[in-house]
Amino acid sequence: MRLKDSLVSRRQFLSRLFAGWLSGLAALLAYPLVRFLGPAEEPEPAFVLLPAPDYLAIAPNSTKIFPWGHKMGIFMKASDQTLRVFKGVCTHMDCNVTYRPELHRFHCACHDGWYDEEGKNIAGPPPRPLERLDFRVKGDKLIVYSPGATLPPEMEA
Amino acid sequence: MNRIREWLAERFDLEGMLRILRSKTVPHHRYSFVYLSGGILIFLLAIQVITGTLLLVHYRPGEDTAFESVVRLTTQVPMGAYLRSIHSWGANLMVFFLFSHLFSVLFYRAYRPPRELTWVGGFLLLVLTLAFGFSGYLLPWNQLALAATKVGTDAPRALGPPGLWVSLLLRGGEDITGVTLGRFFALHVWGIPLLFFPLLALHLFLVQLQGMALPPRIERERNYEYLPFFPNYLYRDLVVWLVVLGILVSLGLLAPWPLGQKADPLAPTPEGIKPEWYFLFLFQTLKLFPGNILGISGETIALSIIFFFILVALFYPFLDRDQVRQRPVAGFILRLLPYLAFIYVTTMTLWGLLW
Repeated sequence: MRLKDSLVSRRQFLSRLFAGWLSGLAALLAYPLVRFLGPAEEPEPAFVLLPAPDYLAIAPNSTKIFPWGHKMGIFMKASDQTLRVFKGVCTHMDCNVTYRPELHRFHCACHDGWYDEEGKNIAGPPPRPLERLDFRVKGDKLIVYSPGATLPPEMEA
Repeated sequence: MNRIREWLAERFDLEGMLRILRSKTVPHHRYSFVYLSGGILIFLLAIQVITGTLLLVHYRPGEDTAFESVVRLTTQVPMGAYLRSIHSWGANLMVFFLFSHLFSVLFYRAYRPPRELTWVGGFLLLVLTLAFGFSGYLLPWNQLALAATKVGTDAPRALGPPGLWVSLLLRGGEDITGVTLGRFFALHVWGIPLLFFPLLALHLFLVQLQGMALPPRIERERNYEYLPFFPNYLYRDLVVWLVVLGILVSLGLLAPWPLGQKADPLAPTPEGIKPEWYFLFLFQTLKLFPGNILGISGETIALSIIFFFILVALFYPFLDRDQVRQRPVAGFILRLLPYLAFIYVTTMTLWGLLW
């Protein structure tokens, strides 16, 4: 039945109402399942604290690894004593890289990717340089933080 | 849609299969609401399978990890507490509707020939469902679960050496330890389902093959008509499922299933503990018997009687035959048995719940 000037018949109206209610119900039931299986929210840390003497004391042209959340972090002392901190994850496909002191390069074994000692991608498939992390030393703590992260006031230099 | 249908029809007899679905009918009479109980069970089973699979994602069996993983599940994982609550309440509703299903089949004598095997299969499915409940109850590894499992796995010992063997096999040793938890976990998620689903398939196949049973009086009075299953009865099923879903979600949210304290084998058993309500009638029966009757342990006698009645129930369709029904005493007892069983189970359960 359709009223004069009406765009839909009563049957159409009721079916659409029912379909809408049904999809609402389906969404309500599906939401908890999706949330339950959804990714656990574990973002990368804003900063990590490391014992500074252990890291600052490494030999030139060598690296020391630390946990950056669930990823690998690399603290590096270059041959000219410069300190750099990288996220040790290849920008190609997320493999962990290693430092090859004899070549002064980082190597990714997965697809033979190469970075120079400043983390710049120089050979193989990596599309971008290694990601850099910032650091500062405060007392006996080495604070490694993501660039642009705001640190708690007591950690400011 | 049409192209998919054509593609499938080219490969097998799609029309024939749809014809079977369309030609399926259900007798319609004033008691036909009892036909809904089986569908409710299927629906609840589906919910148990889905929620159980999801819980499995975060559950870690083991003495040192089980309780901790359930704590993490309920406190950290999004919607974890809700899904666990639904799984526990769903199990309870399933047992409740199973008993309704069983007694409606008993009262309307739907087990009569040619449906004896449907009854036997269904009764075994009930036993397996209770085994699901019993094994799942231990998995959170809390104090109540430990105590309940102790009592439950101790009971068979009263039946002599074979019972002792069963008890040791279930526990995986003298005591309930991580070893017990390991086998209960394996049973709950794989062992019991492995038996349950083929048996269920057989049960459903027989129901489809033989159609719905008619209550004897309706059959005598010829007071029924056949309605198509699709869509008439399917819609009724769906409406009832929706109501059951509403009850389940409300219970799950308004009465979250508790977790309690971590199991400690050295801690004293908490005061006034009781098994889950569906084991209460057995529990109360055991309490009725004194410790010693004429030099035999009361527990042994009680369990032998329980075991005897389980066998009577399992083979009831073969006892309820016309030759037996026509005998004055045996026939009378036989007719009375389902009602006595119902009264006994409900009063014992209520007694256990209220006192």
